[in-house]
Amino acid sequence: MRVAIADDEIDVTQFLAKIVEEQGHVAVTFSDGSLLTQALVRDTFDLVILDWMMPGKDGLETLKWMSETLTDAPPVIMMTNRTAKQDITDALNAGADDYITKPEDRGVIAARINAILRRTTSTGAFETKASYGKYELDRIEQTVTMDGKTVSLTAKEFELADLFFRNRDRTLSRNYIMETIWRTTASLATRTLDMHISRVRSKLTLKPENGFRIFTVFGYGYRLETIDKG
Amino acid sequence: MNLRLRLVLEWLLIGSVASILVIFALSWRGIDDFDNSIYDQLSAAGRPQADDDILIVAIDDRSLAEIGKWPWPRDVHAELFEKLKRLQPRTVAFDILISEPSGNEEPDNALGAAIAGAPPVFVPLHFIFPGTDGRPYETEPPIRQLAENAAGIGQVNLSDRDEVIRRIELCFDPGNGDAQWPHLMELQFRAAAAQESSPAFGRTKCGEDLILPYAERDSFATISYADLLRSQVPDGLVRNRDVIIGATAAGMGDSHPVPFASGGLMPGVEIMANMLSTLKSDSFIRPVGGWQKIALSILPIWLLMLAFLYFPPRLALISSVAFLLLVLASSAIALAWKIWIPPAGALLGILLVYPLWGWRRLQAMSDFMENEVKQLQKEGEIGPLLNSGSPAGDIVGRQSAALGTAIDQIRDLRRFVSDVLSDLPDPMAVADNEGVVILSNDLVEQRFGESVDGMQIDEVIDAVVVPSQRKAVREHVKVTATVVPQNNEAENYIRFNSVDGRTFVMRRSPVINDKERHLGDIYYLADISALASAEAQREEVLQLLSHDMRAPQSAIIASLDGKLNKSARKRIEQNARRTMRLAQDFVDMARMTETEFAGEDILFADLVRDVADSLWPLAEERKLKIEVVDRSDSAFVLAEAEALSRAIGNLVDNAIKFSPQDSQITMTLRRIVINKSNHISLTISDEGGGIDPQILPRLFTKFASSDREQRRAKGTGLGLAFVETVATRHSGSVRAENRKGGGADFVLLLPEAEEG
Repeated sequence: MRVAIADDEIDVTQFLAKIVEEQGHVAVTFSDGSLLTQALVRDTFDLVILDWMMPGKDGLETLKWMSETLTDAPPVIMMTNRTAKQDITDALNAGADDYITKPEDRGVIAARINAILRRTTSTGAFETKASYGKYELDRIEQTVTMDGKTVSLTAKEFELADLFFRNRDRTLSRNYIMETIWRTTASLATRTLDMHISRVRSKLTLKPENGFRIFTVFGYGYRLETIDKG
Repeated sequence: MNLRLRLVLEWLLIGSVASILVIFALSWRGIDDFDNSIYDQLSAAGRPQADDDILIVAIDDRSLAEIGKWPWPRDVHAELFEKLKRLQPRTVAFDILISEPSGNEEPDNALGAAIAGAPPVFVPLHFIFPGTDGRPYETEPPIRQLAENAAGIGQVNLSDRDEVIRRIELCFDPGNGDAQWPHLMELQFRAAAAQESSPAFGRTKCGEDLILPYAERDSFATISYADLLRSQVPDGLVRNRDVIIGATAAGMGDSHPVPFASGGLMPGVEIMANMLSTLKSDSFIRPVGGWQKIALSILPIWLLMLAFLYFPPRLALISSVAFLLLVLASSAIALAWKIWIPPAGALLGILLVYPLWGWRRLQAMSDFMENEVKQLQKEGEIGPLLNSGSPAGDIVGRQSAALGTAIDQIRDLRRFVSDVLSDLPDPMAVADNEGVVILSNDLVEQRFGESVDGMQIDEVIDAVVVPSQRKAVREHVKVTATVVPQNNEAENYIRFNSVDGRTFVMRRSPVINDKERHLGDIYYLADISALASAEAQREEVLQLLSHDMRAPQSAIIASLDGKLNKSARKRIEQNARRTMRLAQDFVDMARMTETEFAGEDILFADLVRDVADSLWPLAEERKLKIEVVDRSDSAFVLAEAEALSRAIGNLVDNAIKFSPQDSQITMTLRRIVINKSNHISLTISDEGGGIDPQILPRLFTKFASSDREQRRAKGTGLGLAFVETVATRHSGSVRAENRKGGGADFVLLLPEAEEG
């Protein structure tokens, strides 16, 4: 698959290109936003990794340009030096599919890239059983087993766990989660979601020792990260 | 001109002018007249008793009618003296001048024989002024027979300047070295009292005036010449008496004006009797004259002038009147002691001085008011005044009104100044030369809780300045107070911290009046707390850049030097991340001081787990276990998630750093109730060596970051200070303590956010 990487820092583009190529994809690098947009008009990419701060056209402008110009825009991962919450939510709300804060661990970056590519290329086939590290989900029985032991979950908790595992390494917005699980965003008390996630987190002991962690994007949503034990 | 100098000069001038006027006046007749009339009034109050031993033989109108027209033949007198001899008087004065020999010697010889022997007979001698042929005087002696046979010849000059007989001379000095003549009465007295001379005669110089006190009119025993001649007097009436024979008849011309209130004339013989009586009782009145008189006339003037200096103006008139009465009383008292002090000069002086002084003072006052008003206008302190059509008519009234207006304006100005003072944005106090606060504005009072006016500046310093700096501030005040500063800005202020945690610069500027006198000092306190904290922040930045940032970077460079194996890469990564976290901490801290708190509803246990998970790789590295024990009962907090995460991250990072390998870090969440409200506490416990007790109290202190020991203990300078900043921002707190069994506990306490 073809991944476009736009960043004005050559070290970063090379670093990212290497990760992308290690995952068996093709990386094309650009040193600023305008070069990228020119290429996007005549070329097709499966994923765009955009730096926030760039000469020519910055990340957010490029993102806007893409959603306004391209009919079938590829998914976008924004990269930012800033961990400021507002920047992240701005990027996600502007149409980015996910974000990465620099500097990030290479394993995490690879997982994120794969998560996006996996979604866009997913066949949507329903598998009754799926296994993620120590965890095994039975979608018929709606049970989760961890190291062979069954963990008892309520229906909603199972749905949440299922949603996270399917979309592991992807940042999910609160709205998305609520629409998916409760099919509403309106009448649900905001704390309900937090408490459900907290419960799933402790029941399944989702923590790095067990290969996963739940990452809270405050003010936006959640992400289930797989821990690269390299 | 200096007001005081002017006062002294005018005082001297008025005293001198009055004195000179009085000295001149003393030679005026009018003054004498006035003195005399005062004397007459005073002397009328206490007249002496007539001496009983004196007997006047009067040549009265009846004698003239019976004996014949004057002059009588000399044998009439001879016959009288023959009779007198038998009646045995003590002495006889014959106040009739017989200076021309009669035609034949017989009667003259008979008269001479009649007065010879006992009793002693004294006869008069006249002086005639001026004498003939250019001589100043001539004597008119008695005839030879009288002169040879009389017991003595005395002069009988009676004269006074105002023609009233007040003064007599017991001794007449014609001058030119001529013979001096005692008075007839002095001679008679000597004979009567058998003395060399009278005490009064002995006391006085020849020619000196004595004042004669008069007994009541007609109080001397008197018999008619005719009665005596015809022996129609009782036996013993004349015996042992001092007889004075003289004319009383109106037509004989021997009558003189005398100082009686009723006025009128007195026969010369009665005047003689009064003299003799006074000689006997030695009660002549001695007039004060010459320089003594001048001195006594001037003295009250200067005494009154002195009184003017010390008494308020309303007492000036009273004291003037009092002085008038005092002078009169002094004269009266002196008179009782037989001394006559003429008071008129002094009275005149007093009457002169009072209006003169009043006039000069009024003028001085008027000038002063005018000058002051002009001065004030010139200095621009007040607006125009005199054209305000003031109702008071005269010039002094107008000046008073102008000054009144000026005072009003100055009062307004003063009020304005004090208002300005109290509204100054910084505390300010004014102390006098003694270091006593005499003025301060409201801010000082607010800060102090009470007025500092009247306190010593040292006391104020003790109450305001932190103990460690008190000595320095007091020294500074003392040093600059003793040395009048030469506008050296740098030496005139001192910086100190107040007990309530603020930082001040105290500037002192001396108050010097227009006469270059040092009156006191203004202490102006500028609150530079904001500046000081900015300084501290700058210090922090420097600290961060110079040490905290450099240390990990040097470590990276050191790691690059060796073989870039896996562990070296790890170290490099960790140090780089540490640098980043430092930078982020710093930026966040700066941001937090600038922005309002904007928390969101956060499930605290979630946030804690996130933090624990994010630090898992670091813990894994050192084989540490991070255990989260959640007893928070799904409590939410209102939090700025990133900042709070970083703060908790710093605590855990700190715990990781000080934990031995294979140990456990426990993060315990509890829901607790403090003051009836729910709180969440997070205790981060490690199994390390604990915190150095010396550092413990200052662990979170931001500004003590230059302490090297502490620096080493904290590892990252800003880490724990950041935690405290965040905790405070979340209305929470953080504290650290050592557990008894070893290891440190960091406890973060936050208020729970209620649902809704």
